[in-house]
Parts: sequence; C-alpha cells; structure tokens
Amino acid sequence: MSRFLFPRWTNAILPFILVTGAILPLYAAFVVAYGFSPKTIDAGYQPTQPVPYSHALHVGQLGMDCRYCHNTVERAGFAAVPATQTCMNCHTQIQRESPKLEKIRSSYESGMPVEWVKVHKLPDYSYFNHSAHVNRGVGCVECHGRIDQMEVVYRYSPLAMGWCLDCHRAPTDRLRPVSQITNMAWDQRVELTREERESLVKLFHINPSENCSTCHR
Amino acid sequence: MPRIIIYALLILTLLAILPPVIAANARSKPNPNRPINIIQDMDLQAKFLPQSENDLFADKRSQRPQIVGTVARGENYLDTHFVDGVVDGQWATTTPKQLPMNMELLLRGQDRFNIYCTPCHGYSGGGNGTINQRAMELVANAEGPVNGTVWVAAKSLHDATVTIQPIGQIYNSVTHGVRNMAGYGSQVPPADRWAIVAYVRALQRSQNATLEEVPADKRGGL
Ligand code: HEC
Ligand code: HEC
Ligand code: HEC
Ligand code: HEC
Ligand code: HEC
Ligand code: HEC
Repeated sequence: MSRFLFPRWTNAILPFILVTGAILPLYAAFVVAYGFSPKTIDAGYQPTQPVPYSHALHVGQLGMDCRYCHNTVERAGFAAVPATQTCMNCHTQIQRESPKLEKIRSSYESGMPVEWVKVHKLPDYSYFNHSAHVNRGVGCVECHGRIDQMEVVYRYSPLAMGWCLDCHRAPTDRLRPVSQITNMAWDQRVELTREERESLVKLFHINPSENCSTCHR
Repeated sequence: MPRIIIYALLILTLLAILPPVIAANARSKPNPNRPINIIQDMDLQAKFLPQSENDLFADKRSQRPQIVGTVARGENYLDTHFVDGVVDGQWATTTPKQLPMNMELLLRGQDRFNIYCTPCHGYSGGGNGTINQRAMELVANAEGPVNGTVWVAAKSLHDATVTIQPIGQIYNSVTHGVRNMAGYGSQVPPADRWAIVAYVRALQRSQNATLEEVPADKRGGL
C-alpha cells in the first residue's frame, strides 16, 4: 500500500501559505469593515423622484433659501418637504405648461399629494430633531452636503450612529452663526478663526448629549 | 509545481480583489437602489411619522388636513387684528399688541423677508429679485414664452399704491395673496407675517426718507 507523500515542491510554498494565512483574517476584516460600512451601504442613495425637481436650479442658480420650501425646519423636528401649493406659488405662471411639471399640476387640481421618495431615513427607533441643530448653528451643509449643486438629491452622509456621535463629541469646528445656516458655500473652517468658533460654543452653551436616551426614546 | 495550482491561486487572488473594488465603486458614486437592509431590527415600526403614508385614507396622508369649519386647539380666531389684520371692520394701522413695533420685530422681519419675498421682490423691495429676472427672460424668449410662461412683474413695494396702504392691508396681501401673487398664509405663521410687513414698512420708509429723519449723529456720510 502506497502512502501519500507531499511532493518536494510543497516545501517551497510553505512560507507562502503562512503569509497568506496571516493576511487572510486581516483581509476578511477589511472587506467587512469597508464593504459593509454605512458609508458604502447607506450613503449615496439617490432615488428617482416623480418630478425632476432640481435643487441646483432653484437654490444654486435662482438663489432660493432652503426655508422657503422646507419651512418647518427651524420650528420642528421634521423638515417638511414642501406642499404642492409652494411650487404653485411660481409655477402657476412660470413654465406653466412644462411637461416636467405634469404631476405637480395634477396634484394641485386633485388635492392628492405628490409621492416624493424619501431620501434620508433613520430607523424608527432613533430620534432626530432639526430644530435642535439648526437653531444652535449646525448648517444644512454639514449633514446634507452641497445640496445647491445636486440635480437630484442623494444621501451625502452615512446617517450612522457613529457619525452622529463623531460630531456630538467634537462640535466646535462644525458650528456657524445662525444667520449662515442655509448658506451652502460658506465654510466656518475658512471664514472664522478658532477663537470665534469656540465663542459660538459658549454663546449657545453647546454641550451635545451622548446619553442613549437623547436619540433612543 | 503543477500548472493547475498556480492558475487556481492566480484566479483566487484576482477574485479577492473584487469585493473591495465593488465596495469602492459603490462609495464613489450615488446609487438609485434602496440601501440593502438584511437585519431589519425595529427599523420600520407600526407608527406614523410626519408626511408618511396611511393606506386607510384615499389620499394616503397620515397627517390629516384640517377640516373646513373646525378650529384647532390653541388656534386664535377671535383676535381679528392678529389673525386677519382687521380692527373694527377697517384695515389695521398698527401691529397687534402682542407684537409691538421694535428692533427685534424688524430684525426678525428682515430675516423672513429675505427668505420668502426676495426671490421676486428683491432685497430692497424694488421688485427685481432673481425669479422676477428669470421669468422676464423666459417671457421675452425669441421663440415665444418658454412652456407658456406668463409673468406679471413683481410690484415694487415702494410704489405709491402700496405705500399708502394701511399695514393691515399689506398683511392681508401676504396672507391670502393679491391678484397674481400667491398667499403665504400656509408657509409663514402669523407672527412672522407681521414681522415681515413691519419690515416692509421700514423698507418703504428707508426709500423715501428725508435728511431730517436721519439721527443727527448718523448724517455724516450723507
Ligand atoms: C423650491 C423648493 C425647495 C428649495 C428652495 C429647497 N428644497 Fe430641498 N427639496 C424640495 C423638494 C420638492 C424635495 C423632495 C424631492 C427630492 O428629494 O428631490 C426636496 C428634498 C430635499 C432633501 C431630501 C429629503 C429626503 O427625502 O430625505 C434635502 C436633504 C433637502 N431637500 C435639502 C435642502 C436644502 C439644504 C436646501 C437649501 C440649500 C433646500 N433643500 C432647498 C424642495 C426645495
Ligand atoms: C420662487 C419661485 C419658484 C418656486 C417656489 C418653484 N420654482 Fe420651479 N422653477 C422656477 C423658475 C424661475 C424656473 C425656470 C428656470 C429656468 O428655466 O431657467 C423653474 C423651473 C422648474 C422646473 C423645470 C421646468 C422645465 O421644463 O425646464 C421644474 C421641474 C421645477 N421648476 C419644479 C419645481 C417644483 C417641484 C417646485 C416645488 C417644490 C418648484 N419648482 C418651486 C421657480 C420656482
Ligand atoms: C445634524 C445633521 C443635520 C442637519 C444640520 C440638517 N439635517 Fe436634514 N436631515 C438629517 C437627518 C439625520 C435626516 C433624516 C431624519 C429622519 O429620517 O428622521 C434629515 C432629513 C431631512 C429632510 C427630509 C425630511 C425629514 O425631516 O426626515 C429634509 C427636507 C431635510 N433634512 C432638510 C434639511 C435642511 C433644509 C437643513 C438646514 C436648514 C437640514 N436638513 C439640516 C440631518 C440633518
Ligand atoms: C455636525 C454636528 C452634528 C451631527 C452630525 C449631529 N448632531 Fe445632534 N446635535 C449637535 C449639536 C451642536 C446639538 C446641540 C447641543 C446643545 O444644544 O447643547 C445637537 C443636539 C441634538 C439633539 C437634542 C439634544 C437636546 O438636548 O435637546 C438630538 C436629539 C440630536 N442632536 C440627535 C442627533 C442624531 C440622531 C444625529 C445623527 C443622525 C445627530 N444628532 C447628528 C450636533 C450634531
Ligand atoms: C446622537 C444620537 C445617538 C446617541 C446618543 C445614541 N445613539 Fe444609538 N443610534 C443612533 C442612530 C441614528 C442609530 C441608527 C444607525 C443606523 O441606521 O445604522 C442608532 C442605532 C443604535 C443601535 C442599533 C444598531 C443596529 O444597527 O442594529 C443600538 C443597539 C444603539 N444605537 C444603542 C445605543 C446605546 C446603547 C447608546 C448609549 C450609549 C446609544 N445608542 C446612543 C443614534 C444615537
Ligand atoms: C413668486 C413671486 C413673489 C413672491 C415670492 C412674493 N411676491 Fe409679492 N408680488 C408678486 C407679484 C407678481 C405682485 C404683483 C401682483 C399683481 O399686480 O398682479 C406682487 C405684489 C405684492 C404687493 C402689492 C400688493 C398690492 O396691493 O398692489 C405686496 C405688498 C407684496 N407683493 C408683498 C410681498 C411680500 C411681503 C412677500 C413675502 C412674504 C411677497 N410679496 C412675496 C410676486 C411675489
């Protein structure tokens, strides 16, 4: 009976196997951490909207303020997507026969809402509040990115818990005067000195909470 | 070493590069597909959030619109001065008593005016905001108005027909709209509308001011 013998060349690949064996767990860890991170999975979600509404046109070119449309953002936790009436303030006259605005017109006539697809969505067990941030000097651009350059809105931030906490632990560089909240091109890291940013923290007594019950209630 | 093993190893190494490349690609550009969510936990709960769907109603709104003829809790409809800008059947000539005319009100008004009114009326109220400019271009287009655009120029707020109006009438125009201008009653709460009209008054004053009205110590540069 002949026994199985490793051929001589296997000796040569032994170091190679050892090295691969050492790298493999690192590789697996890397793939999971990089590939399944919210930055890969959650950020960048850009659904197709029922109406080809463009922030780049209305905000970037026409210079409209976010609060003209998202008018509850300073008063409520929820930043309402505008009612059809808001669009019709202008579009009863401007581009009033545009095929792109077909759904807006039929919604205006029938009273049925336009079914915008929600881009940003936290899990239902977590609580977020816009007014708490916006009135303390956290600008829209910190969380939503350059909306004024987006033809179609996409999710700029991962919206993960770690992302919330990164800022709650070190908010100083991310605060601006409340008057600049909706100014997308303005960057406090450039416009303000370190001392001025620190004085903003003192002005509003900023001390973002890390208690679980702040966001899980 | 047998060839087949070498090839197998090469292919495996190449395959190992794939997952990071796919992930890097997913990171690099926006993606129209809903994020994968295998472990749902309690992500989607049986509760209604603002502006969510409710299939029980024909229009699927979970937030129900107010029924005509009803009064919401806390809604103030008896104070006609505050709500409608009317005192004893006449347009009010002052701001309501809860909102005395002061610097705080004017600054709030300036802030709100710059959000809701400047697109059409411009920062100075002169009537040449960006929307107004663009609409004029669309109307003046060489091949005829684009997509049937029509436009009545946003009126200058310094026009004599506006400056003579009592403040209550301007308030009413903002709330319910006037001729070709839409109303802002649903977008701007009453207190902010009063702040806006107070600021409109200040703007009108500023455009028609005389030197005597400027405080003596500030006349230097004029
Ligand atoms: C002319 C009205 C208008 C203005 C002005 C406007 N938006 Fe929007 N916004 C919309 C509409 C309509 C939607 C829903 C459709 C969509 O997602 O594109 C929307 C969607 C969004 C969303 C995604 C909401 C979701 O579903 O998660 C964000 C974030 C947003 N806007 C931020 C901003 C910011 C920041 C500004 C100011 C720089 C701004 N918007 C100005 C009308 C407006
Ligand atoms: C303050 C005025 C104003 C409001 C409010 C407004 N728009 Fe517009 N919109 C414009 C102007 C002006 C244009 C034309 C710009 C151009 O053609 O250069 C335009 C163009 C458009 C177009 C492109 C039409 C075409 O055929 O090219 C779409 C789509 C549109 N708007 C959607 C919306 C939606 C949806 C809303 C409501 C959330 C809205 N707009 C609110 C002023 C407004
Ligand atoms: C601190 C980060 C942060 C800032 C600052 C912020 N947002 Fe948001 N925004 C979010 C998150 C998180 C959500 C998702 C909320 C949810 O699903 O409950 C969201 C959702 C939205 C939505 C969709 C409706 C909603 O409330 O779910 C709109 C519209 C919006 N934001 C607009 C704005 C505008 C306009 C500003 C600036 C005035 C702004 N946001 C500032 C984090 C932020
Ligand atoms: C860019 C910075 C930043 C990000 C990102 C951020 N926050 Fe905040 N958050 C703040 C600041 C600043 C405050 C105000 C703290 C204060 O008033 O002391 C705050 C306050 C809050 C409050 C109110 C706390 C209170 O005491 O009333 C809640 C709730 C909250 N954040 C939830 C979240 C959640 C959930 C997220 C992630 C989706 C998030 N935040 C992301 C900066 C941020
Ligand atoms: C600043 C707000 C904030 C605070 C403070 C916070 N969380 Fe969260 N947490 C979130 C958000 C937002 C999510 C949803 C993240 C996502 O969608 O991946 C979350 C998700 C979770 C999850 C579910 C994770 C999953 O993917 O299933 C757990 C468990 C959790 N948090 C526990 C805690 C505990 C324990 C604390 C206190 C030490 C805490 N959180 C404090 C915002 C917060
Ligand atoms: C979408 C563009 C638009 C916006 C935004 C707008 N207006 Fe107007 N406004 C008009 C137009 C157009 C007219 C002229 C209407 C006409 O003569 O048919 C007008 C007229 C007026 C008048 C004159 C009314 C009269 O009796 O002659 C006043 C006052 C006024 N607007 C105030 C405001 C205020 C205050 C705001 C901000 C809350 C505002 N408008 C926002 C377009 C706009």
